[in-house]
Amino acid sequence: MVNFAFLDWFWLVAFIILMVFCGVLFYKLGKRSLSDFFLAGRGLPWWLPAASVYATHSATDTPMWISGVIYKYGMRGIWYTFFSAWCAISAFASTRIFRRSLAYTQAEWQTLRYSGLGAELLRGWIAGWQVFMNMFVLGWVGIAMGKLCGFLFGWPEWIGLILFSSLCAIYVLAAGYWGVVMADFQQGVIAFSVIIIVSLWGIVAAGGPSGIMAKLDALGETWRLSPFAFSGVTSGDFPLAWFLTMMVIAIIGGFGMGTAIDWYPEAQRIQSAKTVRDSSYSIWAGSALIIVRNSLWTVAILAFYSLYPRIQSTAEYEMAWYRLGFEFLPVGLVGFFFAAIVAIHLSTISTHLNLGASYATRDLYHHYFKPKASDKELVWVGRITTLIILLGSFVYGLMMQEITQWLIFALWIMAAGIWLPNILQVIWWRFNAWGYLSSWIANLGFSWLVVWVLPEFKVIPVLPDYLQFWSMMVLGAVIYIPITFLTKPEDMDRLVKYYVMSRPLGWWKPVAEEAERRGLLKLEDHRSRGGN
Amino acid sequence: MGWIKTKWTPEQADRWTKEDYITFIISPLIYVLLALGVAFSLLLLWYGWVMVGASIILLIVMIKIIDPKLKAISEDYETKQKKYLEDLEKIARWEE
Repeated sequence: MVNFAFLDWFWLVAFIILMVFCGVLFYKLGKRSLSDFFLAGRGLPWWLPAASVYATHSATDTPMWISGVIYKYGMRGIWYTFFSAWCAISAFASTRIFRRSLAYTQAEWQTLRYSGLGAELLRGWIAGWQVFMNMFVLGWVGIAMGKLCGFLFGWPEWIGLILFSSLCAIYVLAAGYWGVVMADFQQGVIAFSVIIIVSLWGIVAAGGPSGIMAKLDALGETWRLSPFAFSGVTSGDFPLAWFLTMMVIAIIGGFGMGTAIDWYPEAQRIQSAKTVRDSSYSIWAGSALIIVRNSLWTVAILAFYSLYPRIQSTAEYEMAWYRLGFEFLPVGLVGFFFAAIVAIHLSTISTHLNLGASYATRDLYHHYFKPKASDKELVWVGRITTLIILLGSFVYGLMMQEITQWLIFALWIMAAGIWLPNILQVIWWRFNAWGYLSSWIANLGFSWLVVWVLPEFKVIPVLPDYLQFWSMMVLGAVIYIPITFLTKPEDMDRLVKYYVMSRPLGWWKPVAEEAERRGLLKLEDHRSRGGN
Repeated sequence: MGWIKTKWTPEQADRWTKEDYITFIISPLIYVLLALGVAFSLLLLWYGWVMVGASIILLIVMIKIIDPKLKAISEDYETKQKKYLEDLEKIARWEE
């Protein structure tokens, strides 16, 4: 429990009013059209979506998760946080391709890249899955705030869950993505400032860099200062094989769309940028900020470890960064710190409310229920679905204790077996909707088998994470590669249109030749494609 | 950097060229140097500052390589965007 002085309450109330007002201010812009409500009219300079990328991916549970891996693994745990590096290549590859497609959502992109029934099945599936996932993430992040408020003020968990998400919904309902991105900017500035202040304060409290290193030396744990202190090539709790697997997933994944769960909110930011160039820089810069933030947290948690070494309870050491703030900041700054936590929280909540509503409105309502709906009607549907997603997140949040383990498993399986198909659909013209659809279905089955069923019946041992990833990738390919070749290629008209518009990289030679034959590409373009 | 192309026609910029592939290599390297460099700098280790410095230099090099191309792509694409958006609406409304 912490006690707030008057100055602490002042910071908190002032920041909340500022954040909500800043969002509501853009009410008139948000209601102009569907494109304004979900993409800010596709007119943002790169630094606004970049701030939104950073702010969105700094959630209430992020410092808990990073505290957990750094406290447990030392500085080598930084590689767990390196997943955001998929943006390094994506910013100049898949981001560029996706921005040129102009798709509102990843679900809509499916009907631009593929054709016929397969494309529609994929659009419907991804849209439905994203509505669910955004509701789930809102519940997950919301209950983390509920727990934090319980830890700080002794409130029941539901108060923190409902209070702050509802405050956030005010400006998301009013101004849509305009409200989200404008509030994200000032929330990002507040959050980054406080992350720097608290982390440096924690490092100083631990005796500064020399004090931290001396204490780790005295504990006989200087390996914690090395990012490359692997436990073996394939053995131990942090093998080299896992590090290499994470690097492949993160960096090569940048060629695909959907290889990281963060792709879906990023896709919205990509389309809200005013040009292809702005979209590339926004994704790159937003992720660079995330990487710097993670490094700040890493050293702060090492400082915490030197102050409180060898805590066994995960729940306890996951609060490390929060404890540095609440235990070491002076009175008056504690309220500032909590206001920044609220900023971190609201930026994530606002994004997922608006993103979930975009799939429900654009891909489900507009495309499947009422294709002739006007923009005015669609903006209202956007608001109603925002509200439904908010209410759904409360239900998920309150039952999260029971379902978290299942859903983290669901997140993992979504990532592993479809990682390669997510790349193939971008770089290989022959990969079709049936191949992609079958990869999702195969992955669902194989992940159950590999992760739970077969180890449970002692058919195979429990595999380490890196082996689970590679085995699911190979097993999935055994299904979707034959299905791709046994079914027809996509309709050439659709492929040519997509190619001319998006100019994907990789193996697209037959499509490029057809585009040239139709006079849609100049001969010079085709010759330059060489062996593609 | 004479071997890096700085003037692009829209048709040339639409291709995937060595400038893109070099960027694919430099960009993750900057992230790695930034992640480790900031952490080591906070611990006041000299090689942390070297890494941060290297990441800034590589960032400048990367922008010099890719920015002229991105500008050319963007300028050309903006002229076509309106037509593409109309096509997108036709698909959403089942008119195509």
